[in-house]
Amino acid sequence: MFVPHSEIDLKKMFEELSISSLDDLFTHIPSTLKLNDGLNVPPTLSELESISHFESVESKNTQNLICFAGGGHYDVYLPHTVKTLTMRPEFMTSYTPYQAEISQGILQILFEYQSLICDLTDMELANASLYDGATSVAEAISVAINKTKRDGVVVSNGFNPNTKEVVNTLVDRSKFDIKYVDLVGYMFPEDYIFTEEDAAFVVSLPHYEGSAQDLTTIVKNAKAVGVITICYIDPSMLGILKTPGSMGFDIVVAEGQSMGSPLSFGGPTVGWFATKKELARLVPGRIIGETRDSNHTKTYVMTLRAREQDIRREKASSNICTNQTLNAVGSTIHLSWLGPQGLYEIGYQAIQKASYMKQKLLDHDINISNPNNSLREFIVQTSKPAEDVIIEMGNKGFLAGIKYSDNEILVAVTEKRTKSEIDKYVTSLQEVDNA
Amino acid sequence: MHSGGNASSLPLVGGAPEPTINQLSKPGRRASRFPKLDVPVTEINNPAIRNDKPSLPEVSEHDLVMHYSRLAHRNFAVDVGFYPLGSCTMKYNPRFADYVAGLNTFANSHPATPATFTQGNLEVLHELEKFLIEITGMDNATFQPPAGASGELTGLLIIKKYLEENGLSNKKDIIVPDSAHGTNPASAKMAGFNVVEVSTDIRGMVNIEDLRSLVNENTAGLMLTNPNTGGLFEENIMEISNIIHENGGLIYYDGANLNAIVGVCRPGDMGFDIVHSNLHKTFATPHGGGGPGSGPVAVKGFLKEYLPGPIVVKNSNGYDWYSPKSSIGRMHGYHGNFLVALRALVYMKLLGKEGLDTLGSYAVLNARYLSSVISKIIPLAYNEPCMHEFVATVKDLKKSHKIKAYDVGKALLDKGFHSPTIYFPLIIEEALMFEPTETQTVDTLDDLAETLKLIIEELQGDDVSLEEYPKNLPVGRPNELIPAKHLTVNWGDFELLELTE
Repeated sequence: MFVPHSEIDLKKMFEELSISSLDDLFTHIPSTLKLNDGLNVPPTLSELESISHFESVESKNTQNLICFAGGGHYDVYLPHTVKTLTMRPEFMTSYTPYQAEISQGILQILFEYQSLICDLTDMELANASLYDGATSVAEAISVAINKTKRDGVVVSNGFNPNTKEVVNTLVDRSKFDIKYVDLVGYMFPEDYIFTEEDAAFVVSLPHYEGSAQDLTTIVKNAKAVGVITICYIDPSMLGILKTPGSMGFDIVVAEGQSMGSPLSFGGPTVGWFATKKELARLVPGRIIGETRDSNHTKTYVMTLRAREQDIRREKASSNICTNQTLNAVGSTIHLSWLGPQGLYEIGYQAIQKASYMKQKLLDHDINISNPNNSLREFIVQTSKPAEDVIIEMGNKGFLAGIKYSDNEILVAVTEKRTKSEIDKYVTSLQEVDNA
Repeated sequence: MHSGGNASSLPLVGGAPEPTINQLSKPGRRASRFPKLDVPVTEINNPAIRNDKPSLPEVSEHDLVMHYSRLAHRNFAVDVGFYPLGSCTMKYNPRFADYVAGLNTFANSHPATPATFTQGNLEVLHELEKFLIEITGMDNATFQPPAGASGELTGLLIIKKYLEENGLSNKKDIIVPDSAHGTNPASAKMAGFNVVEVSTDIRGMVNIEDLRSLVNENTAGLMLTNPNTGGLFEENIMEISNIIHENGGLIYYDGANLNAIVGVCRPGDMGFDIVHSNLHKTFATPHGGGGPGSGPVAVKGFLKEYLPGPIVVKNSNGYDWYSPKSSIGRMHGYHGNFLVALRALVYMKLLGKEGLDTLGSYAVLNARYLSSVISKIIPLAYNEPCMHEFVATVKDLKKSHKIKAYDVGKALLDKGFHSPTIYFPLIIEEALMFEPTETQTVDTLDDLAETLKLIIEELQGDDVSLEEYPKNLPVGRPNELIPAKHLTVNWGDFELLELTE
């Protein structure tokens, strides 16, 4: 399958190599290592047969759950224009653009991606993508540690637990002290005292719990003692929230799924990473720059390559090589499709619909842990175990949210949800939780 | 010539440079439309809310489509031409996988959806695990690592934790060949190990004597590709793995070159304890211009409980998530690059036994044939039978005519081929590394060799200016110093630089 060799081709090639069979290619491999009977795998399927196979596997997933889950991944509408342009084979089947002369398409899009993210976050330099939001947080912490040579890391507890677990895996806890700071009333404490042992301060805007605050003063306090400040953002809220740059942050990272990638069961998505130029040489991953060719024609090229693993080897700023370029292409095209008004509307409608839903839940005597300072995401209290409620809601056609605690569910609303879906959710939840 | 490159039309469109999406922006234009808000408006008061609109381009949908389509015409890809790119396995990516990856709940499941409602997705991961452990000769796998480098780090963190739990924290040295990919030493360093380099012998294989001298009670393990980055099968692999195992270390298989041996032999049978695979190389998922990839890690049974969790298990009620007891912890926010894993499964199902049993053989056949033809034009680095790739060198041409590997690569671009990998492995002077993959026809291989011959003749001409190559592409050789020195990484930066200089 996909091997083009005809009998005539094989004859020609065997003659060139003076061999008489494919096995003759491997006379130098110890015979004890060779697979004599081949692999124990199923027989080949034609495309036609495999359509029914994969459609049948797909049908084992519960179909069309109405999504009220968030926590970094959001059911934002992804336009067909964005999907089809992103999946153009010239982008999808291309290699990393090391050969600039034949890769101007991808290089220019990645340059646009970097520029769009800088404009949106008020930063100066973005890289060409990292794996996802969680690994981007860990990479940002690593930049801060390398910059400050300090070993304390202050992380807000208001993060997706999976993100914290990734940080715990990737930041060597035998060398660095990660301090998780609890939110107070769903807010990072304004009076938190940073010390000169702290390399990094990492906080999410909005917090995982959905509450948002202006972090300007906290950032100022951290920077006063030389801490590198890192903001994790929800890109689909950038149209309505103040920019991390305006609050003074040094580094911005994000889970970029909601801009240009389908939910994809969590991957592939894209990790955004942007910072100030003074940290340029510590940035992980690829960076695209604008230059001119020998005829003074505008040209884009991969730059600051001396940071990367293929050149610096064990002294590299990160081991990242393959990244999430195609998802970054998706982000670029989606953001350009949205424009200022579209990105604003995604945030505005989500918050309006969440406000409506919170009121509706309260009207039905369902408690919300953080009704006042939350925006598009909030915590709903359940009397039954949260896990059971999520399963029962699933049976009624809703992905109710993400279990937050034994009796709490984190609920997210996107611009895609309708009043009717919200109304049905609330009545279903009431039935499920009171039954 | 019959196919690819010179014989067909040149694939890329040039002409005037394409403006940026920002330069196409005009106030008041827009592509996006949303349904009217269907809930009553409430006043939102939060100090984090901004008063102005975000800064983004304003373009019509048609302008947007034309812009990105024109950029597509300036981009080389597997679907438009041949990449003889060593170490990258740029094979054909079946279109059918796009269809499957687009099926509703595959594409649109929220990653926090409970296992009860995502039995299909879990079945995909479970079935792919079965294929992968059979092909590699291992026992269990995780799909969290989103790329090969992340797979390497996963493997190294497993080695670290395994050694710690067995009271062997003194073992801090990871041995890496001097011919290894840069990610190997970078990953070892990230995992907190010391990197110890083992040399390559004159035949192009791990220098066994040097390896013996480097191995001691501090040896944590060895990272190796087999075939190695010179495209040669490490014939002494059993001896190598014994040396490491006898000293209590583990050995790690870098799956970058797995394509050579699929259906021929298995890392697990060679003594490797941990294997990562690059689904975007061996199993034909598209490279996406640099990603996404997927770097699943497979281990022998005794390392199962160290895998990043959760992993999929099958029980009487169907599929479920299982958290390994001594897990190194998560490597990804959720389940890794699921849709990439799905595409790889589609490829494996289409190939089946017939295709997988012969996959490595055809990849090696194409490389061996191409190496035979090319060796009549430029010398090969090693006089050994190659596997799926081989290294040639133009060091003599550099001496005689100042023609560098770089120049040969650039001239090939002009003829409609991607350049081979150049200057890798680092231990070979003026290296050109070719990997044709099994999906190219013998005609395309002949065309590449013929073109290589012609351009080498051309470049040796008296009045040739090497810097002028490539000549027929949308742009010529870029000035790489400007962005590195002035950080022109954002629109407006370059114009600002021109104003100030």
